[in-house]
Amino acid sequence: MAVKTVHVHLKVNGKDVELDVPPNERLIDTLRYRLKLTSVKEGCGRGECGICIVLVNGLPRHSCLTLTAAIDGAEITTLEGLAPEGKIHAIQMAFLETRGVQCGYCTQGFIMMAKALLDKTLDPSYEEIKEWLSSTLCRCGSYHYYFAAVKLAAKYIKEGKIYFDEEEVKKKYYMRVVGR
Amino acid sequence: MSKPEYVDIVEKVFSETKEKKTEEFRVIGKRIVKYDAIPKILGKPIFTADLLNLFKDVVFVYSVRSKYAHAWIKKIDVSDALKYPGVITVLTAKDIPGVNDVGYVIPDQPLLADKKVRMIGDTVALIVADSLENARDAADLVSVEYEPLDVILDPLKIVEWGGLREKEHTLIHDERGSDVLSRYKIRRGDIKKAEQEAAVVVENEYRTPMQEHAYLETEAAIAVPEPDGSVTVYAKTQCPFDTRKAVATVLGLPFNKVRIIAPPLGGGFGGAEDVGNEIAAKAALAAIKLGRPAAVLYTREESIIGHSKRHPMIARYKHYARRDGTLLGVQAEIILNTGAYASLGPFVGWRAVVHSTGPYKVPNAHVDLAVVYTNMVYAGAFRGFGNPQVTFAVERQMDLLAEELGIDPVELRLKNILRNGDRTVHGQLLDHGVGLEEAIRKAVEAAKWYEKRRLYSQQKGLLRRGIGIAVFYHGNSIGAEGADFSTATIIIQRDGSIVFRTGLTDFGQGNIQGLINIAAEILGVPPSYFKVEWPDTASTPDAGPTVASRSTVMGGNATLVAAYKLRQRLNKLAGEILGCDPDDIVIEAPKVYCRSDPNLSMTWQELVEQSFWKGVPIQEFGYFRAPPAEWDEETGQGAPYMHYTFGAIISDVEVDIETGVVRVKEAVTAYDIGRVINRVGADHHAIGGYIQGMGYALMEDIYHAPDGRVYNTNLSTYHIPTGLDIPDKIKPIWVEAGFKRGPFGAKGLGEPSIVAIAPSIANAIAHALGGGFKVNKDVNKHPLTPDYVYSIIKKHGLIKKYKG
Repeated sequence: MAVKTVHVHLKVNGKDVELDVPPNERLIDTLRYRLKLTSVKEGCGRGECGICIVLVNGLPRHSCLTLTAAIDGAEITTLEGLAPEGKIHAIQMAFLETRGVQCGYCTQGFIMMAKALLDKTLDPSYEEIKEWLSSTLCRCGSYHYYFAAVKLAAKYIKEGKIYFDEEEVKKKYYMRVVGR
Repeated sequence: MSKPEYVDIVEKVFSETKEKKTEEFRVIGKRIVKYDAIPKILGKPIFTADLLNLFKDVVFVYSVRSKYAHAWIKKIDVSDALKYPGVITVLTAKDIPGVNDVGYVIPDQPLLADKKVRMIGDTVALIVADSLENARDAADLVSVEYEPLDVILDPLKIVEWGGLREKEHTLIHDERGSDVLSRYKIRRGDIKKAEQEAAVVVENEYRTPMQEHAYLETEAAIAVPEPDGSVTVYAKTQCPFDTRKAVATVLGLPFNKVRIIAPPLGGGFGGAEDVGNEIAAKAALAAIKLGRPAAVLYTREESIIGHSKRHPMIARYKHYARRDGTLLGVQAEIILNTGAYASLGPFVGWRAVVHSTGPYKVPNAHVDLAVVYTNMVYAGAFRGFGNPQVTFAVERQMDLLAEELGIDPVELRLKNILRNGDRTVHGQLLDHGVGLEEAIRKAVEAAKWYEKRRLYSQQKGLLRRGIGIAVFYHGNSIGAEGADFSTATIIIQRDGSIVFRTGLTDFGQGNIQGLINIAAEILGVPPSYFKVEWPDTASTPDAGPTVASRSTVMGGNATLVAAYKLRQRLNKLAGEILGCDPDDIVIEAPKVYCRSDPNLSMTWQELVEQSFWKGVPIQEFGYFRAPPAEWDEETGQGAPYMHYTFGAIISDVEVDIETGVVRVKEAVTAYDIGRVINRVGADHHAIGGYIQGMGYALMEDIYHAPDGRVYNTNLSTYHIPTGLDIPDKIKPIWVEAGFKRGPFGAKGLGEPSIVAIAPSIANAIAHALGGGFKVNKDVNKHPLTPDYVYSIIKKHGLIKKYKG
């Protein structure tokens, strides 16, 4: 049905975005289909599974329960915005290295929660990590790996290793140049 | 009888490497980072719904579901829906050009119901609109006139104990004339004799729940009409070749005019088998009708009422044994509730009956199993496929028997388990590779079984610990269910990089990385050389379905055969170029050299380039077919599967006697998988399978209202384990007893990793509750939710008993 739109200004992953959206448009749809940020996944549409979590003004928020029109002026970070072009963020690196990724559909929700937690403290206790990451469901059962990843990420960040070079990582893990 | 070449190759590689320790391999058994882990942690658009952004002018297809769980359809009026803004068309059964059926094993399930609805999730019409929102809104405007019928949810209204005869009832599948889908039996020895000789008989009834897969990616399909009248469908499906068959059937097209591409799946667990066919058919129908790309995207609510579940089971078991614990016989009646449609029910029933007496020597057995229809949401494939249900009953029975006899549960199992040289209840000789005893012994040691069992038996107070064991076996691949083959293609590119193609799908389980590991090990290249193509029915030969723990064994063998043949040719060519014997060639890409004189060397890239100049083809297709299985319908005798995975699980739990709340504190899993191919994937199965099994044991069940509606249609009401529910420690242990017809001796693990979790937890809970045989006997169904556990505590006055 044709509806009136609302003008919204957002800062998404550091870039200014001007949008005209229907008042009932969910943030998850704005991100996935208007801005093509498909790291944001839908699992339940009710704020239960936590895989659509993004950072809104630095705090984790279910994008499936957020109306885009209601957050005019907000700063949003998605997985795509964790590291500059060509870089991999320490948290992503830690998730890669602890080898917890199975189907990978929930992973972004865990990474975003890890980011929110590590923005708060770089010395989270195991209980704290569990508590924070319990926001997100993983049906393959990678929880233990993800908890370990947060510890490792904290270590990297404390050591000042915030970004890793994407090409270097790819070379190390799966795109070794053949024949040299 | 001469063996096919591919069997020879597999057996040769096994015999040459069987003494080799897994640590000594270059790639096999190593903790390799998954080939697709980087795009996944970067959030790249790789899942089906992510691809939507690539298409223009897409129409959205929304399913109008039934309002009744059982009713005749009198009339469908879509005129109001057609007037809704944005609606382009509304499709009903009469719009289907081919056959209106998506039944997986038998044709009993219309894509669009036109005569009758049999469950709440049945689709009666498809709204096609310019947006998903408009399509959903218009769904309410489709007016369907129903004549409601009796809703039957309890399978005991369909069949009765004492032979499982069908009772008088309102038929759900009147077109079949019966609501018993299929029956299976095992007849071995003489159960009357076992009854006469037995010193003890243990008898109980068991119930297991309807588990939902709850994969986090809900169903998605995008169909694109092609100029030549064919259709390409990107779909969340585990089995692209079966999906192609379903779409072709519905559209009335030959197979070569339907192309299915299966992007990575956000979880499958068996649930993305038949619903994959259904969503692909719905999208393809709209795409063909309108000549525009069409998308089907399910919400969680649609997913839960619209795809198959794990069959709930009700069973009555009698175990006969001697005073010393030797099993004399098993008698059982088992009912599996397949809900509204057969789906894979006939095969689930068969797998259940095959495993219905557990991994034990059972000289006398009399088992009857019936798979029956009801008006529940339909049940189909789910990791374990009938085995978790019967294993729950069998392993609870073993613990009851142990308590009755005063024997330790581990000792009772060790007395009766299958070992090399034993025959299964089907009369199948297990002549090698039975690692069950080793698995039990290793698990017992790692879990400190004897120490804890003794300690917990003497504890006092209201927070009580318990430790329980369960063991199992699980036939690999599809056995006597059907033609059991797989394929793989390896194409070495001119720059030395490699394209790998298989029709087996990746839903996170680590199978495809396993195939890469096998190919890399044989070829002598790093796994990083491989690029894995998405399964595509247009470019990959039929590899069979991605089910039944068959990828590593069947796909692995096909991969091994292809890699082996390539390696033979490359060795020969390198030998000619470097001037040494082909057997002397070592490939450690990028280096290629002669073992006897490493100075004679070249690079992998040079070798590949030379193969183009010297006319040596460097692409190969691998095929493997399992030896045909044997099964006698009348007696359940034969060799149902070519081999079995074995395992032992020990769970350590805490039960709060005042609330009935159960927490798993620690767990040990020991699996004999022949050989660990992909260590990361294997650990993931052991741990992830445990967590999913723990959900099955403690919290998960789909609850139907009396009218057939589902109460828990989202994750807010259907609870799966979160990070706070799981034990801090789940220890995987690997036993590698080998299997001569597995790649490097490997066996499957996907399904086995959930089979015995629930009974190990139930046995631990029974131990924690204490209180003797009667209490133990009441732990006879799951999920073991706090209210159910508390009902047992209350019934037996355990609070009073332990408070004092």
